[in-house]
Amino acid sequence: MAHEPMSPEEYKHHVRDVYKTTIILSIITVVEVAIALVYEFIGIRQHGFPHLPLSIFVIAASLVKAYWIMSVFMHIKHEKTAFTLSIMLPFLFLIWAIIAFLWEGHYWNLYHHWFFNI
Amino acid sequence: MSTTATAKEDSKQIWMGGQSPFKASYGKMMMWYFLINDTFTFASFLLAYGAIRYTNLEIWPKPSDVFKSVPIKLWGLDEMNLPLVFVSFMTFTLIISSVTMVRAVQEGFQMNKKGVIKWLIPTIIGGLVFLGCQYLEWTHLIEEGMRLTFCPFGVNPHTAGDPVSFGALFFLITGFHGCHVLVGVILNIWLLYNTSTGVFERRGHYEMVEKIGLFWHFVDLVWVFVFLCFYLL
Repeated sequence: MAHEPMSPEEYKHHVRDVYKTTIILSIITVVEVAIALVYEFIGIRQHGFPHLPLSIFVIAASLVKAYWIMSVFMHIKHEKTAFTLSIMLPFLFLIWAIIAFLWEGHYWNLYHHWFFNI
Repeated sequence: MSTTATAKEDSKQIWMGGQSPFKASYGKMMMWYFLINDTFTFASFLLAYGAIRYTNLEIWPKPSDVFKSVPIKLWGLDEMNLPLVFVSFMTFTLIISSVTMVRAVQEGFQMNKKGVIKWLIPTIIGGLVFLGCQYLEWTHLIEEGMRLTFCPFGVNPHTAGDPVSFGALFFLITGFHGCHVLVGVILNIWLLYNTSTGVFERRGHYEMVEKIGLFWHFVDLVWVFVFLCFYLL
């Protein structure tokens, strides 16, 4: 749906929002990669730290990036609530699917020797 | 709703029933629902990757060992050990091209044709740079011996070329994403052409920029998660 041209202040405010979000996304990416590399090369390879904290941090950082991209760049925060929900609620099913498949995958990882020759 | 639209445009915009659901336009709503569909496709690919990788965790190569070079034959860059640097550059390229796309959409709301053109061009360039980088990455890995069914980086593999699924998963998932980027770039070029010949000026609204912008942001989001699964986890 086309929007009426905004007043100059609204427009400037929206443009500033976009640049602010860009900086947030860039910082999150840099921090994500830096921590992943440092944790892996020093923590995991030298001191034998567990993988799990890194995985959780990196997944959380990506979800935060997804939130910022969807709400500001794709504008979903500014749509009518019912429309936003009609898009976000299917993602809850997706998250359920991801958890279910990873759970199954873990079970498969532990027991596949019992069932097959692999 | 644009007050300058004609009566015919008006009835199309309100879905001919008097009111459009969610007060959204048909095109935008259908683009969103297509994106949800595509999300499930990519999610299923990444789940398959997760399941196969974690079944073969002992022999799966570490990403920072496989993706450790910048495949540019300048200043000896392709000889240095720079884990994940090149792929981080690709992530930034896509994020910046997303930002320029948002600015183009905003200029579209202001009915500013010159502004839309000004911001669409860096978006297209960003997409082409990403595709070029993906090409360099692929050719470099193929040079090192990676194929759809052969992985030369396996850790204590049972046989040479294990894990067999590494190559297929990498090439097919990043290739599927690359095809989406290519389609996005082509759509953006078409959009630029239509904008500069005044199609949207005559139509009275730049909604097509918004719809293709949604697709472009989706491509960026998918890359965020592909980057996460293949290179960070």
